[in-house]
Amino acid sequence: MASGIEEILRGVRIADVKPESASPVSPSTTLGEVYRLLDEGSRGAVVVCEGDRIVGIFTERDVLYRTSLEGIDLDTPISELMTRDPESVPVTTRLADAVRAMTEGGFRHLPLDDGDGCCAGILTSRDVLRFLADHFSEAVLNLPPRLHQRMRRPEGG
Amino acid sequence: MRCPSCDAENVPGAALCEDCGLDLAGLDTPEADDGFTGRLTRDRVRDLRIVPPLTVTADASVREAIELLRRERHGCVLVEDEERLAGIFTERDVLTRVVRRGLDPDAVTMREVMTPDPYVLQAGDPPAFAIHKMVVGGLRHLPVVEGEKILGFISVRNVLRYVRDDVLAEPTGSTRGERPRPPSRAA
Repeated sequence: MASGIEEILRGVRIADVKPESASPVSPSTTLGEVYRLLDEGSRGAVVVCEGDRIVGIFTERDVLYRTSLEGIDLDTPISELMTRDPESVPVTTRLADAVRAMTEGGFRHLPLDDGDGCCAGILTSRDVLRFLADHFSEAVLNLPPRLHQRMRRPEGG
Repeated sequence: MRCPSCDAENVPGAALCEDCGLDLAGLDTPEADDGFTGRLTRDRVRDLRIVPPLTVTADASVREAIELLRRERHGCVLVEDEERLAGIFTERDVLTRVVRRGLDPDAVTMREVMTPDPYVLQAGDPPAFAIHKMVVGGLRHLPVVEGEKILGFISVRNVLRYVRDDVLAEPTGSTRGERPRPPSRAA
């Protein structure tokens, strides 16, 4: 049985793990709309495209660092707050290289391109973990009942 | 024989862990899988890089917590109550529970916006537990405790680094050293 993660991650390409479509937004999309998409869409990042071309990304972390808590105009176009020209990788990239790009850059979200700068989806750290969980289900998913414990509260404590 | 789930000592050959009920059949057979599957169950969360926590009390204001997150560039704060873990507040909560609800960060306390009584990992849990909780529970940050003592937390990033550092030491192509370092950005 091939249990070496190295060969597995090298043998799989991003497209094989079926990353989510990016559902990109245009640069003129308002901050308020982006907040809504992040919140209601349970997404951690929004890819910004001009036509098909990736021009930016705005993540939930940017909410923390790039917006102030008060006085922020929700009509601000996302183009003013996004990270411009984020690194993207082709969907044909090996998963091992994608993991490397994510860890080196500290990215949880990696925009995917078609090799020509056009948006082809987004790879999230959760996609990678899900792949690991599926592939190593013997170790990850066959877990004991105690797994769902929360903080221990000793009796009388 | 030590239970891989809860670290309880069991008599050799025990079928079930006395403490947590885990099926121990076959676990004391020498030489299990020495590949990644084996590592996921044999390594311990304490072997990953546990991030020392930022802690606040339940009475701390949302602003206090957010300023702490910004200053230390962390993704979560742990809420402590008499040295016990009472809750967790993450960067995603800033969006979904504060910004989207239009709450006043000075008037609202952690108690009102934290996730109380969060899932935790024990330091002796295997990394497989962390992956399971993150995938199934959709959690990006998990507090790590030893007994009741708060050690810190691990994030999705730590797990990816564990995968990279320990098993992906070599690049797959000839790009080593050529690939420009990705620009730093918040992700």
